[in-house]
Amino acid sequence: MSSEQAIINEAGSAARFSRKSVDIDGIGLRYREAGAGAPLVCLHGGGGLRLSRAHGILAEHHRVIALAIPGFGETPADPRLATLADFATLLNRAVAALGLERYSLMGHGLGAGLALAMALARPDPVDAIVLIAPVAIRPTRPAGGKVGSDMLYVHPERHGAAEPLPASVAALQAETASLLFRAFEDEAFEAGLKALQVPVLSLFGTVDRVTPTDLARLYRTALPSSYIAMVYDAAHAIDAERPEAVASIAADFLARRERFIVSSDIGLINP
Amino acid sequence: MKAALFVTSRYAGPASQTEWPVPCDTYSTERAERSMQRTLEQFRMGDEFGFDWVTCAEHHFAPMSMTPNPMVMAAALVNVVKRAKIAILGPDIPILNPVRVAEELAMVDTLSGGRVIVGLMRGSANEYVTYNINPSESRARFEEAFHIIKMAWTEPQPFAWQGRYFEFRSICIWPRPQQQPHPPIYMSTASPEAGEFAAKNHLGAGFAFTTLQIATQAARRYREYCGVYGWEPTPEHVIYRLGMHMAESDEQAIEDLTSVGGGQPAVGLSMRNKAVESAVAASGYYGRDIETQRARLQSRGEVASRIEKGQVLVGTPETVLKQVKRIRDELGAGVLDLSLAAQLGDKTLRSIELFGTKVLPRMHEL
Repeated sequence: MSSEQAIINEAGSAARFSRKSVDIDGIGLRYREAGAGAPLVCLHGGGGLRLSRAHGILAEHHRVIALAIPGFGETPADPRLATLADFATLLNRAVAALGLERYSLMGHGLGAGLALAMALARPDPVDAIVLIAPVAIRPTRPAGGKVGSDMLYVHPERHGAAEPLPASVAALQAETASLLFRAFEDEAFEAGLKALQVPVLSLFGTVDRVTPTDLARLYRTALPSSYIAMVYDAAHAIDAERPEAVASIAADFLARRERFIVSSDIGLINP
Repeated sequence: MKAALFVTSRYAGPASQTEWPVPCDTYSTERAERSMQRTLEQFRMGDEFGFDWVTCAEHHFAPMSMTPNPMVMAAALVNVVKRAKIAILGPDIPILNPVRVAEELAMVDTLSGGRVIVGLMRGSANEYVTYNINPSESRARFEEAFHIIKMAWTEPQPFAWQGRYFEFRSICIWPRPQQQPHPPIYMSTASPEAGEFAAKNHLGAGFAFTTLQIATQAARRYREYCGVYGWEPTPEHVIYRLGMHMAESDEQAIEDLTSVGGGQPAVGLSMRNKAVESAVAASGYYGRDIETQRARLQSRGEVASRIEKGQVLVGTPETVLKQVKRIRDELGAGVLDLSLAAQLGDKTLRSIELFGTKVLPRMHEL
């Protein structure tokens, strides 16, 4: 099976994610792309770029662009990236280089923190933000630091376990993740969030031990236009565990933003 | 040990004993109103004679129990029952809106000054017809609804719920439960699946319409699961529901009970409609222990045999106390939920009085 085929299977939908890259100041930023429609820029968590069936479902109505953050997997680390602002600036430049005039952001784990940092640095083109099991507001890290696969998944039978990373890649990812975790613990960053006008939906898995549902209220109160949702029976890799549930509420929020709390489902059974 | 008085709010008048749903062609509004008043009076007496809890339950489309919403009955009891806890055992949460259940239970808990005991139930097989819910989804709906109710009680910020069977965009209930973080919660733990779920979620165990032997096996399994999940239930974590009738002599009590068909209907609600019961059974509703579950629901017999099976307490205070001790010794239940032979008029009231004055004080010492 080719690696591209594996990604399509992982995504579990007809949407075909192609591998691409964009060069920003000599950093070859890799990304995967599928679908057409309102752009949705996705930022992965500490485990690196991982597409789930939720991405595939979202790509049925969105142009989904999943960036590989420098220091994770295919995009190399760069010593010029030392602060949260450095990462946010680079990622915003990448989005601009892709020609996206308006877009939404979706971030998982530490990618949620980066999505917020990108929106703080450049709020105007951002329509909405979806955070999945976010690690952005203190307390940020799980006890002990390392997130094992038993913490990512309680239902590996639904999606297959992720392949273990080569040791060198895993070590670099852990180092970059650690840098970002430290960067989030910043009063100026948290104070900036209080002024963010972009609507944010944060998803928490009800059996996630890394970012448990008790943290949801921090996100609800730290951001001015903020909604929290509990995704039932999902561990930290919420989008892999409950892809339909994540894609459905994310798509509704991206389309209708704050109005998403009013149902638009059709209740009529037998006309 | 503690005792609860379970009054089913039976309709006192002629009605079919063998069908479900029970047609309303014999229904009398006057009889129904008198039945409700009698129910409230029996609850009031239970409180007056020292019962620790009073209990109501949810059943639909039948005269055996006119409390389709037990939270409404519980709210009516707040000012009738002044002292006892009000046990709502309970709402059938797979067929209901769990947010509404959380709201109503919190409301009654607040109205009652924090006296609510909660039992979250799946309901008997027939209840799945009531609101047109597929019984094959019963257990999964139960488990999800439980988590919604608990989070609705404990999460202070408005939240959406993205479940399998339930989806809500914004939940933030008022009032909150008076008992913080929430009232004690029980569930029916007849089946192995339920025993494990209760243990995993630190819930109490309830056994009803069963035999002492079957309940004892199920309770042993529940305690083993509690051990697996790292905690040890107290006796009060186990409720056992059974019938009760007392009189001045054992012979009189047995004769009274026999005159009303042993204090139980000829056919239980679940078994009255064979099409419903067989369809529900085929859906997987009973779980992996289906034979035991169906057998216990069909268990019928003479009063003497029901005493032997631990399905009813009958006799004088001395006799009943012996029967109570046997249940404590074999099952380890800390709470007995006693279902009255409600249709015996003054004899029913006398039975409540005898239990309250002669048995309860000694039970409390056990």
